[in-house]
Amino acid sequence: MEQRRKERIDRGIKVRADGLYALMSWRELGYLILPRMVLIVGMLILPFVMPSMYWQRVISIVCIYALLAVSFDFLAHFVGLVSLGGALFIGVGGYLSAIMNTSFGFPPLLAIPIATIAGAAICTLLLFPCLRLRGVYFAIVSLMYPLAMTRVIEALDILGGTDGIMGVDSFPNRWIEQYFVILMVLLFLFGARRLVNMDLGLVLRAVKDNDQAVRASGMSITFYKAVAVFISSAMGCLGGACLVHIYMWSGMSLFALDFSILPIAATVIGGAGTIVGPVLGCLILVPVSELLREFGTLRIVFYSVILVAFIVFRSEGIMVYGQRKYHQIERWVKV
Amino acid sequence: MLEATDLMVFYENMLALNNVSIKCEDKQIVGVFGANSAGKSTLMYTVSGIMEDIRKKEEMAGGERITVLGQIRFLGRDITDLKPSKRAREGIILCPERRRIFPECSVMENLRIGAYLASPSQAKDTLEYVFNVYPALEKLKKRVGGFLSGGEQQMLAIGRALMAQPKLLLLDEPLLGLSPLIQSIMVRSTKEIRNEKGISIIVTEQYARPVLPIVDYAFILENGAAVLEGPRDEVLNNPDVRSAYFGVS
Repeated sequence: MEQRRKERIDRGIKVRADGLYALMSWRELGYLILPRMVLIVGMLILPFVMPSMYWQRVISIVCIYALLAVSFDFLAHFVGLVSLGGALFIGVGGYLSAIMNTSFGFPPLLAIPIATIAGAAICTLLLFPCLRLRGVYFAIVSLMYPLAMTRVIEALDILGGTDGIMGVDSFPNRWIEQYFVILMVLLFLFGARRLVNMDLGLVLRAVKDNDQAVRASGMSITFYKAVAVFISSAMGCLGGACLVHIYMWSGMSLFALDFSILPIAATVIGGAGTIVGPVLGCLILVPVSELLREFGTLRIVFYSVILVAFIVFRSEGIMVYGQRKYHQIERWVKV
Repeated sequence: MLEATDLMVFYENMLALNNVSIKCEDKQIVGVFGANSAGKSTLMYTVSGIMEDIRKKEEMAGGERITVLGQIRFLGRDITDLKPSKRAREGIILCPERRRIFPECSVMENLRIGAYLASPSQAKDTLEYVFNVYPALEKLKKRVGGFLSGGEQQMLAIGRALMAQPKLLLLDEPLLGLSPLIQSIMVRSTKEIRNEKGISIIVTEQYARPVLPIVDYAFILENGAAVLEGPRDEVLNNPDVRSAYFGVS
């Protein structure tokens, strides 16, 4: 009886392009650079190809979600902390930047970096108490803060209360606005990809796999987790800070749960643990959700169907699937 | 009773089992011996059907592609395509490597979970029997599984497998990390279970010395292939086995 099985092997060019030999030929260089250039160039020309102001605004929102999704993917799949704190990061970063701008008169391009760093520090401090614990506590606490924040703002009538902070300066013009967020996404995307392969990233991945072994190697896992939360909340706060300057308004809707949930959905669709995948997921999900706006409340139904279909039929995610097709060939072989 | 022919398992392109055929007759103890990476656990997973489960999960996550070829017949029926839960209903129960007890359940709860497939009267009888074979467990009834010692956990794992009313019990490395004293208790109890309950047992082990004396038939795996098989005495007296697995030159 003849039996056959499908074999997967790396393409020859992938093997050749793995090492330093990649520098020896244009073909191999091109093989490495092509997918990255497609993403970079694609992102950079996006503002030009969008038909209207409305869709250009959508691109900025995509980028803000992409920052959140990268931060979620980094925390969940390289540090092992499932964060539902997207709304917390956006809210803290957004309110800080709005205060910097309206009360102290900093221009947006100065207020945003300050809000990013200060907001990341605040978020890390808020989340610090639950970093010592393993398991579901981090997710619960990070979900609870944004819920609590809205109520605190409402009840104490601070930070503009239910009306929010009005009169926040916008970016000098919409080209600067869009290229600023696009460049930030690319910067943090490739930065995070580099980071997870550096020494710090290795320690973080080890914390995810077995934190007791890391502790036994003489490292403080709480410290390393705090560093990771700082990095990832910096990405989120940056997104929030940009968002208030795009909308020229900062309000309680910054703490909306959309900011926590949509990045997770994007990560599922794009491919968990690839960092690029979540960005692709956002590029698909956010415009789709805009297109579905015509259907009114039915929007959520379509949205859920898409998500469920993805999880059932392609739970590996677009990016994992794409990488495999790009790097490997399949063929039938006789056993 | 169990007849697996020409089993081949590929993890992606790595051949984990190469044309392995094993057989277990009624009320026999069959030993499978081999070093690390010889394919013992893969064999156990394939026979118990857990491999199907692993294959599906890997496929969903876009990981390694696992290919399983070959046929498995159990009690005259082809079970090659049966799901692991169906195989358990047929009577193939795996007691997995590193025990895999439920660490947050008490001893009693662990055993009750194992009895899911048994009728109440069967469960009651088997429970008595388990405490009879492993008296140590009876004193620890209320203790949480995670706080048991390695030996007690192994006893519990075998007890849990027994509660599922096996016809064929697969013991994957039951002596892993146990002291010589506990090892001899485990080996003795394995034989007792076969004699008293009439259950066929397939047991894998790296180190042949403690287990080989109680088996009826033995297979030796090396790098995924069955290099030697035969009744106990034949294997015991084979000079290669003596030097490789007993340290006798």
